[in-house]
Amino acid sequence: MTPPNALRPAPGTPRPYHFPDFTHRPLGNGLTLWVVPLPDRELVSVQLLVDGGAAAESEPDGGIAALTAETLVTGTRRLDGHAFAEATEQLGIEIFADSSWDVARAGFSSLTDRYPAGLELLAEMVREPRFDEGEFDRLREERLADILQSRSEPGRLADEWFLRAVYADDSPYARLSAGTPETVEPLTVEQARTHHAQHWRPDRAHLVVAGPVEVDEVVGAAKATLGDWDGTSPGHRTIQVADQGGRRIVVVDRPGSVQSELRVGHVGIERGHPDYFPALVMAAVLGGTFSSRLNQRLREELGYTYGARAAFDMRRAAGPFSARAAVQTEVTADAVRETLALVEGMQAAPPDDAELREVIDFLIGVFPLRFETTGGAAAGIEPIAVYGLDHDWWATYRDRIEAVGPVQVHDAAVDLLRPATALIVLAGDAARVRRDLEAADLGPIEVVRPADD
Amino acid sequence: MAQIPIRRHRLDNGLRVILSPDGRTPIVAVNLWYDVGSRHEERGRTGFAHLFEHMMFQGSANVAKGEHFAMVNGVGGTLNASTWTDRTNYFETLPSHELELALWLESDRMASLLPAMTQEKLDNQRDVVKNERRSSVDNQPYGTAEERMQALLWPEGHPYHHSTIGSMEDLSAASLEDVSRFFATYYAPNNAVLTVAGDFDSDAALAAIGRHFGPIPANPDLPPSPAMDVPDRLGGEVREVVPDQVELPRVHVAYRIPPFGTDGHQAFDVVSDLLGTGRASRLYRSLVRERQLAADVAAFVFPWAGGSTVLAVWATARPEIEVDTLEAQLLDDIGRLATEGPADDELARVRTLHAAAVESSLEQVGERADRISQYACLFDRPEMVNTEIDRYDAVTAGQVRQGMAERTGADNRMVLTYVPAEDVAEDAA
Repeated sequence: MTPPNALRPAPGTPRPYHFPDFTHRPLGNGLTLWVVPLPDRELVSVQLLVDGGAAAESEPDGGIAALTAETLVTGTRRLDGHAFAEATEQLGIEIFADSSWDVARAGFSSLTDRYPAGLELLAEMVREPRFDEGEFDRLREERLADILQSRSEPGRLADEWFLRAVYADDSPYARLSAGTPETVEPLTVEQARTHHAQHWRPDRAHLVVAGPVEVDEVVGAAKATLGDWDGTSPGHRTIQVADQGGRRIVVVDRPGSVQSELRVGHVGIERGHPDYFPALVMAAVLGGTFSSRLNQRLREELGYTYGARAAFDMRRAAGPFSARAAVQTEVTADAVRETLALVEGMQAAPPDDAELREVIDFLIGVFPLRFETTGGAAAGIEPIAVYGLDHDWWATYRDRIEAVGPVQVHDAAVDLLRPATALIVLAGDAARVRRDLEAADLGPIEVVRPADD
Repeated sequence: MAQIPIRRHRLDNGLRVILSPDGRTPIVAVNLWYDVGSRHEERGRTGFAHLFEHMMFQGSANVAKGEHFAMVNGVGGTLNASTWTDRTNYFETLPSHELELALWLESDRMASLLPAMTQEKLDNQRDVVKNERRSSVDNQPYGTAEERMQALLWPEGHPYHHSTIGSMEDLSAASLEDVSRFFATYYAPNNAVLTVAGDFDSDAALAAIGRHFGPIPANPDLPPSPAMDVPDRLGGEVREVVPDQVELPRVHVAYRIPPFGTDGHQAFDVVSDLLGTGRASRLYRSLVRERQLAADVAAFVFPWAGGSTVLAVWATARPEIEVDTLEAQLLDDIGRLATEGPADDELARVRTLHAAAVESSLEQVGERADRISQYACLFDRPEMVNTEIDRYDAVTAGQVRQGMAERTGADNRMVLTYVPAEDVAEDAA
């Protein structure tokens, strides 16, 4: 007889859940307001999204979008950098501003009763920024120090060199969105003022407010602070993407490394790709969960690494696909071989039913966890606003995941993965990994030094 | 702040159970704190508590290797575990109708880990943990700082002297016999706290907890806590310079302070925010914005309850800045807070930032459950989760000044400096 506690307990009855209802309302000046009312919460999350990310830069000024965003939080015409920090932090608010390829953001999270005052300061910051030259120069120097610092961090080294080697030189995606030392060094506060004046405009902007708020009250607060903000922006450029193509191995030499930071991949797909859902599920089978093929093999069977994963980084244009792990130096060549074999395996046959079921059930079941917090709910609006997705994106999301079958996963692997020509980048001790890599005969090897530019 | 419900129960085998229902989202968190961490490790077995944590995911009597992760992920749940000096915690957040799955998985390994243990699994996870050490410590710039800080702040043989990740040598020495003994000693219901937070029915949850955990026997011979006694102060200044694979020097300053959970400690919680939280903090203003000596700064306390803990501050030098100049200014800034104490508006700033941070953390059922377990495990007072803001706000300027005066002098100071290895090599040449 089976002991009473030997069997997995049966699930209870699921409680229905849907993405929180939200309202979307254009203000007269082109700004779109999104309100996600979440009763019974203590916090309000506010996010202003503008089409002023790195995709809106001109290429010689790479990094100006990021520096412009950072400089915004160093004060307004009325308040200098410290006074602005003091004013926000006295409200319990830390205003942030940052930029990625596709969007520049500014926002905060606050206790509910503080958000109107926070919104006033956010609007003041965006509309009447100080752009003090000393503060800009300081932030530029900090950025350069951070880039310098990244040369001693194997994970960041591998990421940076992977982009450099996977994209053709004239493709903007060959660099990090925050720029390179060469592009950041000459940037001036005047350029930040110009970037702001052109791109931090309401016509392509979105304001997202999530929390225990009434729609009318938020509309009133948004109109009062941002309703007469004006101007138009040119928006982002079209990023041209080209793959350098062809199998090769780039070893970023970091003598003394006890691990190799490994990246294997190629140019992937854009956010609006018709195979978005099959690609998402396929990448999760390969490297998206603890039980995924990469983590099972490299960690749980071989003990080569603390963790391995794979994902598409989808942007407006085709971002990279990569499999990644930090592996013990001694097993570097084996780990590369194993990784390539697992990518090839995705193309060899459809996943078995149980494997696919676990991934699909994970992506569907984790849905309510993603939107548990006010910040999570606000973040759910971002792709709808930025990429212009249908407003029922989250309402249909789980059905569209469920609809992905083994054949679509296999097709996605065949269509979207290119193991034969995948680029291999590793940051590690070249002297200790080179011989094994040569013996493995995986492609031509190029050794670079982190400081090589 | 909204009060978090706390309903305490205790099973006959000593398992402390805390239920904190909240139906806003149909998800539930299950969180277990075992009262065992790296401070309970034997000599020659540093890192073992953490290695053991990994073994808890390698299967038990009714769960195969890998199934724990697969089953929780397979219903849309997230999970993990972590080990630190004072405790080991295990946690799942999952759709609420799968609450019993998490209870079953946790109880199965608490009841019956050992039948599933094999040398092969131990060897595999030993390799994984060694790679974890490589990733987070040995192959990271400044990665050894926390380990070195512990070694400098507590004497040889003290339970806080060694790091939780442990040494490669000791990890190599761990045996299946160690796994059995550790499990039998510490992984007993009377050495654990189980918190369930989120969307569930209390009566049904209690019944399920009784069903799954009730039959597990207590350990009647729990060992006494290790001796943690140590003088209030170091008795002098300790220094170390570490040549490392870094581009920019970083100076770490640390002090031995009263343990987590005491009024004396609470003042240092406030101190760390006055010094390092936000762009209006003292160190950001002085070192980053105005003097431009540092590229970044940080200040924090560790919530360790074993007799003493640490206030740590670090700053990374900007390129071209001498690390000695940075250190002198950093110590001057810390010293001024000790002599002047904070102004009223500074206290107001950190209090409101702290209140928002607490609310933000407690928004998530997983974090709520973890904090409840923490207070129950360390102090047997889970309701402390509801007084975090009040306790913080009760700290006065006088208490900050007094705490700083007692603990941040040169007689209780550690200074640990990382410098680029190539600079050292060039100087020597």
